[in-house]
Amino acid sequence: MMDRVPTELERVAAMLKEEPVVEFAPRREPVAPSGWIRQNLFSGWFSGILTILVGAVVGYLGFGLLKWAFLTADWTVIKANLRLYMVGRFPPDELWRVWACVYLVTALAGLSWGVTRKRLAWTVRKAATRGALAVLALASLAYLLDGVRIWVLVGAVVVIYAAAVMAGRLGARRLHIPVIVGWVLAFPLIILLLRGFGGVPPERWGGFLLNVVVAVVGIVLSFPIGIVLALGRRSSLPVIRVSCIGIIEFVRGAPLYTWLLFGLFVLPFLLPAGVVLPNIVRAMIVVTVFSSAYVAEIVRGGLQGVHLGQYEAARAIGLSTTKMMAFIVLPQALRSTIPAMISHFISLFKDTSLLAVIGFIEALRIARIAPQGQFSGDLRETLIFAGLLFWMVAFAMSRWSQRLERRLGVGER
Amino acid sequence: MWTGPGSLGPRLAHGLRFTEMAGSSVAEVQRAAIWRNVRFLRVVGQLVFAVVVVWAFRELYLNLEYGVRRVGTDLSFDFLQTRSGIPIKEGIAYDPNQSYLRAYVVAVANTVRVAGIGVVLAMLLGLVIGVARLSPNWLVRKIAQVYVEVIRNTPVLIQIIFWYFGILFALPLIEGGLSLGGVAFLSQRGAAIPWPHIGEGAGAWGLWLLGGLVLAGAVWWWRTKVNERTGRPHHRVLWSLPVLVAVAAVGYAIVGDAVRLDVPEVAGRLYRGGFQLSGEFTGILVGLVIYTAAFIAEIVRGSILAVDRGQKEAAQALGLSPAQQLRFVVLPQAFRIAVPPLNSQFLNLTKNSSLAVAVAYPELSSVSSTMINQAGRPFQITMLVMATYLTMSLTISFVMNVVNRVVTRKGEGR
Amino acid sequence: MATQPVAGLASGANDAMIVAEGVEKWFGRFQALKGVTTTVRRGEVVVVVGPSGSGKSTFIRTINRLERHDAGRIVVDGIELTDDLRNIEAIRSEIGMVFQSFNLFPHLTVIQNITLAPRMVRGRPKADAEEKAMQLLERVGIPEQAHKYPAQLSGGQQQRVAIARALAMEPRIMLFDEPTSALDPEMIKEVLDVMKELAGSGMTMVVITHEIGFAKEAADRILFFDDGLLLEEATPDRFFTEPQHDRAKLFLSQIL
Repeated sequence: MMDRVPTELERVAAMLKEEPVVEFAPRREPVAPSGWIRQNLFSGWFSGILTILVGAVVGYLGFGLLKWAFLTADWTVIKANLRLYMVGRFPPDELWRVWACVYLVTALAGLSWGVTRKRLAWTVRKAATRGALAVLALASLAYLLDGVRIWVLVGAVVVIYAAAVMAGRLGARRLHIPVIVGWVLAFPLIILLLRGFGGVPPERWGGFLLNVVVAVVGIVLSFPIGIVLALGRRSSLPVIRVSCIGIIEFVRGAPLYTWLLFGLFVLPFLLPAGVVLPNIVRAMIVVTVFSSAYVAEIVRGGLQGVHLGQYEAARAIGLSTTKMMAFIVLPQALRSTIPAMISHFISLFKDTSLLAVIGFIEALRIARIAPQGQFSGDLRETLIFAGLLFWMVAFAMSRWSQRLERRLGVGER
Repeated sequence: MWTGPGSLGPRLAHGLRFTEMAGSSVAEVQRAAIWRNVRFLRVVGQLVFAVVVVWAFRELYLNLEYGVRRVGTDLSFDFLQTRSGIPIKEGIAYDPNQSYLRAYVVAVANTVRVAGIGVVLAMLLGLVIGVARLSPNWLVRKIAQVYVEVIRNTPVLIQIIFWYFGILFALPLIEGGLSLGGVAFLSQRGAAIPWPHIGEGAGAWGLWLLGGLVLAGAVWWWRTKVNERTGRPHHRVLWSLPVLVAVAAVGYAIVGDAVRLDVPEVAGRLYRGGFQLSGEFTGILVGLVIYTAAFIAEIVRGSILAVDRGQKEAAQALGLSPAQQLRFVVLPQAFRIAVPPLNSQFLNLTKNSSLAVAVAYPELSSVSSTMINQAGRPFQITMLVMATYLTMSLTISFVMNVVNRVVTRKGEGR
Repeated sequence: MATQPVAGLASGANDAMIVAEGVEKWFGRFQALKGVTTTVRRGEVVVVVGPSGSGKSTFIRTINRLERHDAGRIVVDGIELTDDLRNIEAIRSEIGMVFQSFNLFPHLTVIQNITLAPRMVRGRPKADAEEKAMQLLERVGIPEQAHKYPAQLSGGQQQRVAIARALAMEPRIMLFDEPTSALDPEMIKEVLDVMKELAGSGMTMVVITHEIGFAKEAADRILFFDDGLLLEEATPDRFFTEPQHDRAKLFLSQIL
């Protein structure tokens, strides 16, 4: 069990030498396949039995799954409903807006990727797995997409991403600030793109687009509110502190579904007569408030992690409270919360699927209503596809978060 | 409004010196600066804040009252006593002629049932998978990793709907359903498992069990003492368990009809006997358990890895076997680390039970949704529901806090 | 026990407690040990010095298999260190180790820390183990702390408990990995005193330390490591006054 070297040790070794790690002597001879099998699968009698049992069960299930996926499953339902899945009842001739947003995000993502990457360290195994995944992705896209136009549009995504990555690597440190500014501006820009200039009202936004937009709106707007709540919770003024604790605990105590019901049924009564908010806006408000409570707790954890000495040093040089918070405390606190924030965003993004149960036409809802007529009975296929959409985003984000954690060295639990 | 005067300090001191030179008293200085005085500002600030909050709440309440009156209902909770007319398919004794309050209680009981059983099962499954993720066996480790990565990143609602509509519905009906050795059954309509049936002699047998426990406890204590005295392995479990089982068996034979195993059977189109779980309950339970177990597995794995590496090395250097390292050094510390995040997961499972609305299991959220549609008092019902969930959350957190305090009692010299 | 005596010597009359021949160790692509060869005899006190990252820690950790050596041969008291579990366990029971960060078990009291291994591994009765533990605590000077938890002790006290814990298994060799580096200056002396007493009583010791005073007083031999290689071996007098290797000279000029 000691054979796996923890990544910290490698990092320490690399740190001791200023230059990037260079190949010295050849590493240990790779263990022959038979040796590897013996060590990892049959190292003892118990391990051997486990391998056989688990292997048998997994093989049986896996084979059955593959057989179902390729033989009995009807995937044409996905193909037929692809647009619904992605954007719901968004007017087809306004789809260029959605594509514009996609390209914007792709470019920013590519830039961010390029800017943060240091070395390309691709082992044979990594290259193989990534190659296999790329082939799989290409095959599924080939199945799903019909027509030159859509292929051009999707191809443009890849091209823009690759170009942005290269640009990011060239610019490196200089582009750090512009990239962050870009992300901050992206949010209002996307809303503008979708809504502005005689655009599409939020009521018509649907499908996966709706999930993404609600999640992003939720997280972006809840960020400042959450920080305010967290600061309030640490206030020395009892009235403020108690109020903030009350709000946070009350919001967190109930499930999101209950809060959505609240937003749907009770909120209209709380608003002054005559003020009517569309359903989607109320849902966004609820999601924002819900998220704020969790963000508040995360930020609180981060604030607690800032050493007392920082406060004292800031005071000693004469900073006012606001300046101290803004320039010294919050930057450190927020930096340490990045992994938890990303984890929270992933949760929030998954939770937007709840909108299906209160009547919104987003990805999960499409999955439930798509199996009709000639496609009835295809519920499993549609659900799997909807799940896949969420899974891809969530998985990518969690992998990115792990890399970020390693780079920032925030090993706090 | 934060602690400390900040930039106030120098100015205040300056004012002090100035007036001292002029010969005035300290009291005058304090009076002069009252609108900058920190304590004054704090009190006034809180007062203003409180006034604003109260005013805002009052405004909201007035709006609520007005709106509610406009649609013809009220803000009282009296409706709870009226007849509900809501059919609830499972749970404790209830019929639609009873009050809304009764329906609500039944719904809460159903939530507690699914959450309670769910927490236990999720904990067990999560423990197994968490340990599997650390296994030296590559296959086991990879399978566990795939499980966690797939389940964790998919929305729980999709999973619940998939298990219920996708899997359960695909099973045959009861008469053609699956059976496990003829004693447990699974079908589209739900499951039936053998369950102990309390018989006449249960009380008497209970006494026998008690005696057995006492005797087993004595054996346990005796073997511990032997180990301390001579150093021989105590094999406490190996000695105590047979004693308990023997006494229980003897008692069972003597007492007679104490406990029977009620084995279910397929009677036409229904199950008869045993413990029956409805399809809805099975669906939401399976979905919740599988989802939460993935997170618990990560907590288990994370807490074991979080135990300082040096601890394991010190235990290794002392010659403890891997099993002994785990048992005496790593696991006790890992458990302590795991308690707070486990608390979060238990809370999450309880709150996620609200998704049962998608599979029509009549727990708190689904029944209250129906109640809103029927009784039409969204505000009262929503408040009630939130208060109920809040109570459940606080209870779980309280229990976990007690557990936390118990395990961190040791080794805390601070 | 499967033992393999070192070639050429009859087992039992073996004076060489630790024999390392061409020991190499890689971490990924980084080579931490590039072929270390040395012998530690019974009763010898060997002090290992060198800059950080030179492989000293890795080397002594390979001796009790906390790290697995990738090439070369290690023989401890006639038993060769291979992947054979029985050899590993036999070797570990002969070696006691004291760590820089003490690594006391925080959830057990001091006396429980010391008696855990004798009771669980050697099967000693509780009373015997506790009696021995108290004797060891007296030897390291803190018998009154027996029922406290590690968090309630000072750093120096904790390290002394760690030494007692290692001694409780009656090892023939004691390894020390920078035992005083994590201590406040005023507590270093109490730990070094215990180590000097141990050395005086004839224990075979391998000590990584920066405490030159201790090295000069108690060491029979100094091993100088740099960049994964054992560059120089000499008596303390020779090493500290006339180092041969350039890098040894550089190192000494930086710390003296």
